[in-house]
Amino acid sequence: MSLNTSLSIAVQSLSVASGELQVTNNNIANANTPGYTREVAVLQEAAPTTDGNLSVGNGVELTAYQSVRDELLQTQINQETTAQSGSNAELSSLQAIQPTFTTSTNDIGTEMSALFSSISSLSTNADSSTSRQAVLTAGQNLATAFNTASNTLTSQQTGLNTQVTQDVNQINQLSSQIAALNPQIASQKSNGQDGGTLQDQQDELVLKLSALTNVSVTQTPTGETVTTGNGTALVTGSQSFALQTATGSDGKTQEVLDQSGNNITSTLTGGNLGGTIQTRDTTIPGLLTQLNTLANQFATAINAAQATGYDQNGTAGAALFSSGVTTGVIPAITAGNITMATTDPAAIAASSDGSSGSSGNLTNLSAVQTTALPSGETPSDAYASLVYQVGSLTSNANSESTATTASLLQLNDQLSSVSGVSIDEESANLITYQTAYEAAARVVSTIQSLFSVLQTMGTSAAE
Amino acid sequence: MRVTSMLPDMQYAMQQSQQNLATAMQQISTGLRVNQPSDDPSASANMVTALAESANVDQYTSNVSSLLPQMQTADSAISSITTALNSAITDGTSGASGTDTAAQRQGVANQVASILTTVVAQANSTYSGAYIFGGSETSTPPFVAASTTYTSANGSAANPLSSTTPLTAGSVTTIGDASTGGTLNFQAAAGDTIATLQTAVANAVSAGTLSAGTTATINSSGELSISSNSSTEGIAVVSNDAALGSMSATAGTAVANAYAYVGNSSVNNVQVGDSMSVATNLPGSTLFTSGANVIGSLSNLITALQSGTSAQIATATTAISTASSYVGQQRIPLDNAINQLDSQESYLSQEKVTLTTQQTALVGISTATAATNLSQAELDNDAVLAAAAKVMPQTLLDYLK
Repeated sequence: MSLNTSLSIAVQSLSVASGELQVTNNNIANANTPGYTREVAVLQEAAPTTDGNLSVGNGVELTAYQSVRDELLQTQINQETTAQSGSNAELSSLQAIQPTFTTSTNDIGTEMSALFSSISSLSTNADSSTSRQAVLTAGQNLATAFNTASNTLTSQQTGLNTQVTQDVNQINQLSSQIAALNPQIASQKSNGQDGGTLQDQQDELVLKLSALTNVSVTQTPTGETVTTGNGTALVTGSQSFALQTATGSDGKTQEVLDQSGNNITSTLTGGNLGGTIQTRDTTIPGLLTQLNTLANQFATAINAAQATGYDQNGTAGAALFSSGVTTGVIPAITAGNITMATTDPAAIAASSDGSSGSSGNLTNLSAVQTTALPSGETPSDAYASLVYQVGSLTSNANSESTATTASLLQLNDQLSSVSGVSIDEESANLITYQTAYEAAARVVSTIQSLFSVLQTMGTSAAE
Repeated sequence: MRVTSMLPDMQYAMQQSQQNLATAMQQISTGLRVNQPSDDPSASANMVTALAESANVDQYTSNVSSLLPQMQTADSAISSITTALNSAITDGTSGASGTDTAAQRQGVANQVASILTTVVAQANSTYSGAYIFGGSETSTPPFVAASTTYTSANGSAANPLSSTTPLTAGSVTTIGDASTGGTLNFQAAAGDTIATLQTAVANAVSAGTLSAGTTATINSSGELSISSNSSTEGIAVVSNDAALGSMSATAGTAVANAYAYVGNSSVNNVQVGDSMSVATNLPGSTLFTSGANVIGSLSNLITALQSGTSAQIATATTAISTASSYVGQQRIPLDNAINQLDSQESYLSQEKVTLTTQQTALVGISTATAATNLSQAELDNDAVLAAAAKVMPQTLLDYLK
């Protein structure tokens, strides 16, 4: 083996050591970069030189820079992120709705009690215009409480429509970015290289996409194929397919359409978009239906009790609550439109015999409080059910959000255990590679001095 | 396991302990364990019912407070009436002795007349502007001076009312008879006409509610005229029927010392407990006319003193005595109701305490528990922060020279 061969092994060592230093440098630089996967330099022994029966090692070769990935963990993190974003989306809407259904002041339950109290108070002096006015005011306050609750729910729904549009725009943007990376990564892989930085970028984009909706990712020779949970293609190779939004038949609801124009709204689950759609199309309408039923049945019961008595002027009691529309097609009373049908204190049908001082019919009005509505519950029980439901939905969304956050933390710990950069580890590596570099440099310098000896030998012989 | 960075776990632990700290702070500052439905959905739902019950108890208490003075007013009015009747009995007894001259009897009659005025004034007592002995007719005095004829405001010779004139559905026309002490409360139903009212008057006469000969006719001026048969037996009429207009006594037909009842016999009940209600009024018909005609007996005594024999005066005096004991009997249920209200008031205040305790158990938190929670949360938070401060700054680089 010649000195030249040794020198070339040493130079190769220098190059490998500096390659390792470069990887370490890059790892340290990206220690806090989201989505970065630590890289390692893959080394292998160079093929030995055989001279007769002797086989001598030929140094080291740097064959690749490889990212340390765990695709399974990454997929689990994507799925957990989808679940977390979904429950967070539901939670934030429900938290906005919840204060309307607290049991403090101005809520439907309190106003309902206030109405019955005012009716009971009127029974002590049915002729008192102050007490009659108090019943009207309490009735109006109750109507306003119903209106406020209904408005809170519907305005949340409207806000969620905007969220759907924004989410769909983000999904489209992310899809096109993922598609753009596919050919570059495929070309790198076809050359036997690791996806490296580009793969990190793509994984990060898929994670962001998972936060928006449930997606499924398949590896193909042309890169990652991304579809929504129900199979609507978002990315295939270098091509991305944009989702669209369109206003539904009610003129308000934003529907999500695939690229062919099919309505896929109800099939989207999970993620911010799925959670938003779930809240907008299922949770809130469910609460609204219950609220409207309560408002309608309560108003109907009070109006029916009114009709059995006489007002202060001796005429048969007229409806106390109405939908506010008095001409044309009169809509059913809902929580949104309920209002007082009269502003005349005399209109309260307290009398059971036509005389203004009779409070006989107030018993019928008071009885509404303790009589089951057609829904099977008394008004305050029906409201209590609604409060329970809002509380329980919010509490469940909160628990789910907490659980997924903890689980996601665990998964991220595991992923970071595999793919994360440890500054301590890199610092130690730095010393190792520095030493290796110094040692290789020492070999070069040794060989250089050997060459000097040889040259000196030649000079001495010539003298 | 290869640990790369403890930061995410530290951040999570800090967030959790700070959230616990915030919850403990909120609990101790509000005294509530449940501040929003999601804190405890089931307790929040039960709270809706508990608050409704509590509001009811508050209202029952307030009802009791406003009823008590009203019923006490009624009680003291009845008490004054009893006293007045007793002095009428004394007067009647002295008038019946047969030793008085006609002038002296007239003087006694005048005294009884003034007692009658007092009794009528007490029978027309009000509380908060409402007449308390008019049944549910609380806006007009229940006992009014009687006249022989009442005519309607509506109707004229040019545009007369007729038996086919429709009445306003729901309207009430009340005819009180001073002599019988009876009252006809006629409420018009849909489709009723003056003819229906006329039939009702005829039926009331047959039933003895109104004196024989009381009629409702359309007079020559085209008005509805309701009149009594004799000049000594007066009636009083009140109507809120728009078709008739108000009914007023025809001038010059007033009957001296006669009062008719134009209230009704309705009793209002007020709820003062979930399953307890009390009758809040004693209608004048029950109190003064149904068992013994209190006011009529006084009128009779005046007539007897003015023009009757000693025997007639004695009979009239006995009638007042009967009336007085009758009124005394009627007072008993009223006094019972007042006692009932008194005891209900203390029951309600006890109930209020029970409900408040129940509400605290549902959504409240004891100060001791809240304080313990807070100090525990503070301790946890301190520990997490101390651990983070200890661990986070340390790297291998600290030790490499």
